[in-house]
Amino acid sequence: MSANATLTIALSKGRIFEQILPLLAAADIYPLDNPDTSRKLILPTNQADVNLLIVRASDVPTYVQYGAADVGVAGKDVLLEHGGVGLYEPLDLGIARCRLMVAGQPDALAAAHIGRLRVATKYVRSAERYFAARGQQVEIIKLYGSMELAPLVGLADLIVDLVESGNTLKANGLVPLELICHISSRVIVNKAAWKMKHNRVMDLINILRQTVSTDSFD
Amino acid sequence: MNDAQWLLPVGIEEALPEQAQRLEQLRRALLDLYASWGYELVVTPFIDYLDSLLTGTGHDLDLQTFKLTDQLSGRLLGIRADMTPQVARMDAHQLKRNAPTRLCYLGTVLHTRSDGFAGTRSPMQIGAELFGHAGAESDVEILRLLLLTLAAAGIESPYLDLGHVGIYRALAQQAKLTRAQEMTLFDVLQRKAAAELTALILDEWQLTSPIADMLLGLIELNGDDALERAELLFAPAQDAVQVALDNLRQVANQLHAWLPQVPVHFDLAELRGYTYKTGVVFAAFVPGWGLEIARGGRYDDIGKVFGHARPAVGFSSDLKGLMALANQPPPPPRTGILAPWRPDAALQIVIDQLRAAGQRVIHWLPGQVNEVAALGCHQQLIYRNGAWQLAELTCDQALHFFIE
Repeated sequence: MSANATLTIALSKGRIFEQILPLLAAADIYPLDNPDTSRKLILPTNQADVNLLIVRASDVPTYVQYGAADVGVAGKDVLLEHGGVGLYEPLDLGIARCRLMVAGQPDALAAAHIGRLRVATKYVRSAERYFAARGQQVEIIKLYGSMELAPLVGLADLIVDLVESGNTLKANGLVPLELICHISSRVIVNKAAWKMKHNRVMDLINILRQTVSTDSFD
Repeated sequence: MNDAQWLLPVGIEEALPEQAQRLEQLRRALLDLYASWGYELVVTPFIDYLDSLLTGTGHDLDLQTFKLTDQLSGRLLGIRADMTPQVARMDAHQLKRNAPTRLCYLGTVLHTRSDGFAGTRSPMQIGAELFGHAGAESDVEILRLLLLTLAAAGIESPYLDLGHVGIYRALAQQAKLTRAQEMTLFDVLQRKAAAELTALILDEWQLTSPIADMLLGLIELNGDDALERAELLFAPAQDAVQVALDNLRQVANQLHAWLPQVPVHFDLAELRGYTYKTGVVFAAFVPGWGLEIARGGRYDDIGKVFGHARPAVGFSSDLKGLMALANQPPPPPRTGILAPWRPDAALQIVIDQLRAAGQRVIHWLPGQVNEVAALGCHQQLIYRNGAWQLAELTCDQALHFFIE
């Protein structure tokens, strides 16, 4: 089938890209340009029929879902926000690990019984689901960054954010309070690519799976 | 005037003349096709009592259905989000035939939210349902009709994917899963999230071999050799799994006998419509389109709640979606004949004859602005040598005849 000819992989710049490169190298895929210096958004690779798309992290599921990319690598945080309709997530790469957490000033939860809590977050759906599951009525405030600021200036009582080392929280006098879930990056595939480029996609996933499982023994 | 007020709501589309013409051509071709296979067209109500609309589909449609209150009865009404249950109700509640009944339908349905994909909230659902036969033969007939539907739209080599909800249902029963566990596992299977599946089955629920192995293996059962691998994997499964596998194999073999050139693929973990489907399920994909373009399956139990339990199998698609993916040649340029407006019996006869012969004849209205191109005409009627005759049309000539 001619549709087998190309494979397009959507990735985001930064941490995921740095950590996926050695895994792709195991599958003999090397980008021909460096995304940090190149302005290209479609990066050709050493394999003529494999291209990398460089997109925003939160856009990766959208590109894959609409079939603009066959395969993508996206954090579970992004997938939870996106909803993941029509996507398969067959492999947990275990890279870009962190935790999605409720954080705030150390006494924030002690004050929880007084009225409705305000929660500032970039992860609106995840935060809504988490507090709804606990039957707790909260007011969600959508922010795009620097969530740590919100409790300091009285914009919110709590924040929901990704926590890696906790240093940013600590530097702003905040503490992690509750774990919502562990986050790592997943390989996502749209249904059509999974079916119509099956061998191609499975070969890639199998090599990635072997590579991550060997790495974890190091 | 604020132009924003003429914007359409999100996911609601209109069809301009050229597009509407192509939709209508495809619609006619498909309904003629279904009629030639003995499928009778039915028209279901656009709006209906909500509890009736949601009956039998396991409330999958509840969130997808627009609701409003009936001012007459005080009851909740819903705008149809899927015509299949309405057609099943017609078969079971109104027609009550014992012979196999073949029905087809076409109409706009509304969804409160798009599938998160392709954007539309108002697909034009087209489909066919076969009631009253439980064998693989009726599954095959519906599958053949599905493929012909795609072919009529110019989609020649779709990817056909078969599955069977009976396999997972029997495994869940054998594993003694609760309803909540069954749905959690279902969600994981739909995402093919292998790591989550392992964590759930082995760590959280602590299922043991052989049922744990079978549930873990189910997620891998896709691709061309899935049936062979399934036979090995499900050897220790209860009879219902074997029955489902046999049924699936029969459908695949019979389809292959009818259409040897169509490759058939399997995905035994793909369970769209799981809550109300009962047998074979299928979907068709095309390259470069993330979701299925047509889907269907067997849903034998739905008639029961409408008073007449009947086996049922069917498929549906979205006419606008088919159009968007169709490899149809662009429609030929419009042709037509421009005629003057005048109470002339001889002219009227000529016009009637031309129209009866299938020509498009358009009157040039008195006082009309001279925009011939907008009318799409290539000829005009002029009075020459004592008779109305056809002549080639250019903008200048039209003006001439107008002045004449």
